[in-house]
Amino acid sequence: MATVNARPLVSVHQDGTVTASSISLPAIFRAPIRPDVVNFVHDQIAKNTRQPYAVSKDAGHQTSAESWGTGRAVARIPRVRGGGTHRSGQGAFGNMCRGGRMFAPTRVWRRWHRKVNVTQRRYAMVSAIAASGSPALVMSKGHIIHETPEVPLVVGDKVEEAKTTKEAMMFLRKCRAWSDVLKVYKSKRFRAGVGKMRNRRRIQRTGPLIVYNKDQGLVKAFRGIPGADTIQVKRLNLLKLAPGGHVGRFVIWTESAFRKLDKLYGTWRKPSKLKTNYNLPTPKMTNTDLMRIIQSDEIQNVIKRPNRKVLRRTPKLNPLTNKKYMGKLNPYANVERKLAQYNQKIKIERKEILRKKKAGELPAKISKEEKARTAIPPKKKEPREKVEPKKIKYIGKKMKRTKKPKSGDAAAKKGKLQKAPLKPGKPKPGASKGVKTGKTKPLPSKDSKTGKAKPLSSKDGKTGKAKPLPSKDGKTKKTKPLPSKDGKTKKTKPLPTKDGKTGGTKPVPSKAKQVGKPKGETAKAATAKPATSKPATPKSATSKPSQPKSTPKKDAKPTPKQDKPKQAASKK
Amino acid sequence: IYIYFSVVKKVRLPSVPATLLKRRKKAIDQKRKDLKKFAKVLKSRGVKRTETFRKAEKYIKEYRLKENQEIRLKRNAKKKGAVVVPGEARLAFVIRIRGINQVHPKVRKVLQLFRLLQINNGVFVKLNKATIMMLRIAEPYISWGYPNLKTVKDLVYKRGFAKVNKQRVPLVSNTLISKYLGRRGIICMEDIVHEIFTVGRHFTSVTNFLWPFQLNNPTGGWRKKTNHFVEGGDFGNRENQINCLLRRMI
Repeated sequence: MATVNARPLVSVHQDGTVTASSISLPAIFRAPIRPDVVNFVHDQIAKNTRQPYAVSKDAGHQTSAESWGTGRAVARIPRVRGGGTHRSGQGAFGNMCRGGRMFAPTRVWRRWHRKVNVTQRRYAMVSAIAASGSPALVMSKGHIIHETPEVPLVVGDKVEEAKTTKEAMMFLRKCRAWSDVLKVYKSKRFRAGVGKMRNRRRIQRTGPLIVYNKDQGLVKAFRGIPGADTIQVKRLNLLKLAPGGHVGRFVIWTESAFRKLDKLYGTWRKPSKLKTNYNLPTPKMTNTDLMRIIQSDEIQNVIKRPNRKVLRRTPKLNPLTNKKYMGKLNPYANVERKLAQYNQKIKIERKEILRKKKAGELPAKISKEEKARTAIPPKKKEPREKVEPKKIKYIGKKMKRTKKPKSGDAAAKKGKLQKAPLKPGKPKPGASKGVKTGKTKPLPSKDSKTGKAKPLSSKDGKTGKAKPLPSKDGKTKKTKPLPSKDGKTKKTKPLPTKDGKTGGTKPVPSKAKQVGKPKGETAKAATAKPATSKPATPKSATSKPSQPKSTPKKDAKPTPKQDKPKQAASKK
Repeated sequence: IYIYFSVVKKVRLPSVPATLLKRRKKAIDQKRKDLKKFAKVLKSRGVKRTETFRKAEKYIKEYRLKENQEIRLKRNAKKKGAVVVPGEARLAFVIRIRGINQVHPKVRKVLQLFRLLQINNGVFVKLNKATIMMLRIAEPYISWGYPNLKTVKDLVYKRGFAKVNKQRVPLVSNTLISKYLGRRGIICMEDIVHEIFTVGRHFTSVTNFLWPFQLNNPTGGWRKKTNHFVEGGDFGNRENQINCLLRRMI
């Protein structure tokens, strides 16, 4: 819907072409279109041409019937007096009686006509005219205006002088309004219903409405064209402009008629000249483009965001059976559970041991050595044969075995920051730093297949030194190599080591190097053994770079590196 | 000599209505804001989660400590040949055993005050002179005793519902708890359990926050509801035996 102020030019058509003259659209075409008002007013006004109908006023009462009363074995209805005819004794007067009067006989003084307020009538009129200016509405009413050059269609005044129907037809053809008339032709049919026998036999569609200023033969010319109606602009008729109470009739205006509209109905700025004290109705909304209004900046900047959140009922699951759900409510639950499982396992084992003791399968008192052996997972003191480490797929960062072992302090520090894994010797429920439980239970023996203890992984995924085996978290930043049977560990633990020493841990020498040079060096070592067994120790002091790599254990074994400088020295 | 020719292409931008462009820009800006907000939310969530973790940890230590202290005291006393008199129970769990018909007004009132309005409803009650007297009045209608930690936990986790906006809402997440009890320092289920079990400062707020527990009839049945527990029945104080009963009712 266009705004009130926008008033385009309407060109005048003549003989199928556009003339030079153009008229600015009268304000009436921008008036609010109120189909409800039009419908109401149309209903009321249509009643005004009615002719009264009624039954005869004495119908059914032209008898002197009287009721026979009770006791005569007949109904108490008034009965016709006298005798000698069929009619005598028959019931009379009642609506149920044959020849009686009808129920509520129709009377002429029924209120046939309706008053409608003038302003209201004018409002309807204005709406109807405005609607006729909207091609969409006209088309929806059913008029064929696909080919009409313009809506509203304004035509030169020459048509007012048309004398013959032929001329009128030619005019409509040139206007390209003929197809609408054709539709009327095609729609000629008999009325359905009893109206057929009540002098309303034929019906047809409505065609174009021609609004003129001065009748100089136009009315008579268009009389013969079915469907076409003519109206003088000063006496516009709602029944013609909105037939059936529906807006959007196809109207053809003559130029002078069109120019009169502003004077007749006024513009909002100027009241009507030809009607006293009247101006066009003001619309409730100046801008009826709702979409545009909603999308405008002024509104978009102020409105809240659409709440697309759908609040759904979250089902309550039983946390005692549903682990996931329990974890949601209590993130510590997993730790608890695993701890409980672990403790139970230990309990069972201890019981087993006690039972064995009682049964005599085990010695009553275990020697210290045995205790030491069983308490801590067995560590083979003799270095094993060099076995290539199994190629295990690490989840996360791969540990490079060829790297130098990091200094003990750094490792220890790092270890402390991370969550300490549970050692078999010392079950700790809280796997965070500085947490100390009251009890530390020394265990006699533990299933020592795994060189390391199982780390209690919290649900947070902070398994500092978790096994690279199935960790669903995948969050283990640094994966430790499996507690291999070699006993090789790259990184040191913060907890007391397997030696039983706390604090800074000594870096375990990289056997990789030694592994790397098995064949070549062993041969050398074999040859060099007898020669260097004794002088190896004093010369170990000289060769500094290799020193930090050797542990006291490995002093017995001649390091291949020591051979080199010695040989070099010998060569020199 | 290299001569560079800069070819200026006349790129024709696709004609998009201004409203669409505006909308897009707005959407992008909004999204950015939302992401920032969400990042904050996630962070706070993470913080809360670690908090609940630590709290749970702490509480377990606490419970264990308590337990071990008890045991230690007993052992010490035994060594010396003395006797330990344990403290009287401070926490009770009260279950309404009987229905709603033909109840004496005094009893009715007491049960109302305890929020035991339905058969097999249970509530946690702080034991003091006042409440013990009340329990005495309502004795034939209730079965009560001293719940242990497991019982408390099971009740809260499995049968725990909150009173939110006068509605019975399941304890589905800790956000609900922290929203309503946050200002008392109770932000998770473990907090609730702790507060109840240790009868803390905010016991009343927590128990009031909880809807009265709706329990099942015990599997295996009652003994005899019309008699006192001591007489071979069910009502009255059954001290620690309440745990057995509740195991069958939760």
